[in-house]
Amino acid sequence: MYALNYVKARSLEEAARMLASHPEAKVLAGGMTLVPTLKQRLARPSHLVDILQLAELRGIAAKGGRLSIGAASRHDDVATSVVVKKAIPALAELAGLIGDPQVRNMGTIGGSLANNDPAADYPAAVLGLGATVFTNRREIAADEFFQGLFATALEEGEIITRVVFAVPKRAAYAKFHHPASGYAMAGVFIALTRDGVRVAVTGAGPGVFRWKAAESALSKSLEPSALEGAALDASELNQDIHASRDYRANLVRVMAKRALAKLSGKK
Amino acid sequence: MRVEDPRLVTGAGRFAADWNLPGQLHAHFVRSDRAHAEIVSLETGAARKHPGVRAIFTGADAVRAGYTKPMHTLAFPGKGGMQTRAPERPALAHGKVRFVGEALAMVVADTAAAAQDAAELIEVQYRELAPVIAPEQALASGAPQLHESVPGNLSLEAEAGDAAAVEAAFARAAHVTRLKVEVTRVAPNPMEPRACLVAHEPQDDSYTFHVCMQGVTTLRRQMSVYTGVAEDRMRFVAHDVGGGFGQRTPAYPEYCALMLAAKDTGRPVKWVSTRSEGIACDTHGRANIIDGALALDRDGRFLGMRLDWVNDMGSYLSPASQGHVRNTSTCMTGVYRIPALYASYRVALTNTNPVSAYRGAGRPDVAYAIERLVSRAAAELGIDTAELRRRNFIPPEAFPYKTPTGSTYEYADLPGVLEKALKLADWRGYPKRRARSEKTGKLRGIGIATVIENTGAGQAAKDEVELELDARGHVTVHTVSKSQGHGHETTLAMIVADALGIPRERVAVRQCGEDRQHRLQGNHTGGSRSTVGAGSVCHIAARKLIEHCRGLAALELGVEPSQVDYAKGAFRSRESKRAVKLGELAGTGPVSVVGEGKFGSTFPNGCHIAEVEIDPGTGAAQIASYCAVDDIGTVINHAIVEGQLHGGVVMGAGQIFGEHVVYDLESGQLMTGSFMDYCMPRAGMVRAIRGAEHPTPSKVSPLGVKGVGESGCTGSLPALANAVADALRPLGVAHLDMPLTPAKIWHAVRDARKGGN
Repeated sequence: MYALNYVKARSLEEAARMLASHPEAKVLAGGMTLVPTLKQRLARPSHLVDILQLAELRGIAAKGGRLSIGAASRHDDVATSVVVKKAIPALAELAGLIGDPQVRNMGTIGGSLANNDPAADYPAAVLGLGATVFTNRREIAADEFFQGLFATALEEGEIITRVVFAVPKRAAYAKFHHPASGYAMAGVFIALTRDGVRVAVTGAGPGVFRWKAAESALSKSLEPSALEGAALDASELNQDIHASRDYRANLVRVMAKRALAKLSGKK
Repeated sequence: MRVEDPRLVTGAGRFAADWNLPGQLHAHFVRSDRAHAEIVSLETGAARKHPGVRAIFTGADAVRAGYTKPMHTLAFPGKGGMQTRAPERPALAHGKVRFVGEALAMVVADTAAAAQDAAELIEVQYRELAPVIAPEQALASGAPQLHESVPGNLSLEAEAGDAAAVEAAFARAAHVTRLKVEVTRVAPNPMEPRACLVAHEPQDDSYTFHVCMQGVTTLRRQMSVYTGVAEDRMRFVAHDVGGGFGQRTPAYPEYCALMLAAKDTGRPVKWVSTRSEGIACDTHGRANIIDGALALDRDGRFLGMRLDWVNDMGSYLSPASQGHVRNTSTCMTGVYRIPALYASYRVALTNTNPVSAYRGAGRPDVAYAIERLVSRAAAELGIDTAELRRRNFIPPEAFPYKTPTGSTYEYADLPGVLEKALKLADWRGYPKRRARSEKTGKLRGIGIATVIENTGAGQAAKDEVELELDARGHVTVHTVSKSQGHGHETTLAMIVADALGIPRERVAVRQCGEDRQHRLQGNHTGGSRSTVGAGSVCHIAARKLIEHCRGLAALELGVEPSQVDYAKGAFRSRESKRAVKLGELAGTGPVSVVGEGKFGSTFPNGCHIAEVEIDPGTGAAQIASYCAVDDIGTVINHAIVEGQLHGGVVMGAGQIFGEHVVYDLESGQLMTGSFMDYCMPRAGMVRAIRGAEHPTPSKVSPLGVKGVGESGCTGSLPALANAVADALRPLGVAHLDMPLTPAKIWHAVRDARKGGN
């Protein structure tokens, strides 16, 4: 790790001010990706602005068909929250599948979304549920928020404050763990929302994406067979030493079917 | 609970990186990011000026010091009298780098951070050379050459057995089964990263090392050969060691470089490896390609076997590379009576990290090759895999059995082990379980392995321990073997306490103590030998202590020694019934005896049976059941033995299902440089192991023990791979090499189904 300044922000406003006055500063929101990156000297921020303790970023509440999760909520908070389990059980289940207990006790939803790792779990839920990302400046629809590999709509110095989900009729997530990292080799989140079926895929491509062909197929029928004909262009998926594009394309289909089976209450 | 457990589970263990000395400096290594390149220039000027930097060392310094010739142990007569070609390896690369991660400079500074900062200021200019990564390619004509001294990248060509006899056996065979397998390159990844702190004493020009090690004797000899510093001028200190698996055995170039720094700066110099450095630079394991063929007669009896090996040793010969040839020929016949055997070995150098001993050091590799061949032969001939084994076992009455490659198996009850395992695994009930899996859409397979391995023998002239009796009647055991988690403090204390008939709490074990490490001879802990070697001499020494003390007691009691009986820590005169306690005999000073012995190989053997369930949708394999019946001789501590077997089985499972060091074949870059890509086994991988002991005491040592540290791996590699092969065989999948990742299995299933259509 390079030498840097650590600042524990006392308020969101102070954090924003620090980021504004130090262009090379970075937000620390759990640090489950950032800290290993720093240890390998792959990043060299001038300051770390720690927002983990900010009360403004905590809290999970459901009201009027909407579930709000503070950006500094740990994965374990979400996985074990009675409120989340009642409103969107698939979201609680997804949070419980992230990393290992150590990661779930430190990593946060805001940190995960701002990082937008192409194999992270939360982006699938946020995009699949069509959630809204609130920041200290504005609100951003999920469809605009994710912009490919580690890229988001966040501007310099912008901090995620909470994520608001419209509670769907039903939702389910199926994940195939990467055998080494535990990230998603493919994760598929399916939600039956008031605006229709949404299918979001993480892990398989260069960033989380909506599988539109599956959405339109499922809007006609929720039978697993409906997915058979849904087109999926394998050439746009990732290929590496662990898995070919074809294998990832297969996993997307298989995980989609399994999510669908969960959705219909079948194992 | 073991004696060492309270300390280890409460975080009170003391590992190599926990040591600090006053005035110490910190080292950071600059490592090559090229697989094969000439070092055109090395600019250290800016780094030298960096605040806190005390010194910088490069390959030129290593060459000047003469730290260029590591020991190698491939001391076999090669084919046609060929001598091993062992390349030089300066402790810091000089002129040329030959693998990604090779250290070429070392910065020494006041803090580790300053050393690392300065290291980034060193500018290296390379002239890139084409690398060669795959060992078979390295041996092909026209391949890039690593060392001028190793033409054709061929370090040694060797053979074992009788080629003509094998040829004749194949000529009259009714059936020949052929299978080429790869036992993949893996990174040992012990829990404790490597660390070393070296201090130089100018008074007598000696060195003290605080280092994670597997015992003092082998490391000291290798360090001495590498540096030319006499063994009596090196001291090694280690308390707790967090895993070894063979990776801690060799003298590493980093330790030699630290010696240079300690002497030059006059300050102790410390280095702690990162996990990524460990994956790239701690010696790797396995890395063998074996082309096998098994000849059978009409009745399925084995007539002959041929194994052609390509052993990838990486860019330099590690000091512990001999196992790949020695151990694999020692046990080449496996548990079978195969009258004709022949093995050829081509030891190749490649632009990769050196390969060394790794839990089994060739034993699991040869067991894997044989057991996969046998199961495949059974499938080809339509014979039950257990029955084909039963038919070819070395029968109990044939022991001691001299194998065609020259070793002598002591004794094994192979049918007994097999029948117990078949029962434990409910072999007969398997079709029902398979049908049940099919109903849920899963592919099920069962795999069996019946294996034997040579353990216990070491290269030291003898094993010694010293027992020191004090006035309290407590005994201290001094040994030069070293636990890396094995539990020596428990096992050796039990042996001594049992032999003396005193409570175990009165026996303490000191490993590689500074005051004893030059006095006592013995083997390091490796090759499943410590209970056979150090353990047996503990027993011998305890008997010797009794006899020595009997004389002292007789004087004390005023009778002849023959009139004194010993029991439970006290001598009693037969005549007067007067007694004297052990401790009383050490009233004027400790009583000390040295026990010694030299022990040959013991041959633990076992039958492992695994069942796997494969999800054809994802290719993911789950271990559905695992049974292991092992004959490891007399058992001293059942919990420790179970722990060894479990650990070995899981380590094998890790290799079969995921672990694999991958280098890019074009660039030679390491593709699995962290746990994001290097797939370590997780706790849930093996959920339950049903085990049973089937002991036949060994006569090699007075304890009747056999080695156990590596048995789990030796059994689980072939048992698990055979189970996956069995599950996929009905689909027409001919062969799959490890690691059997979900992606690989899924592709195989898909391709087989495509072919079937």
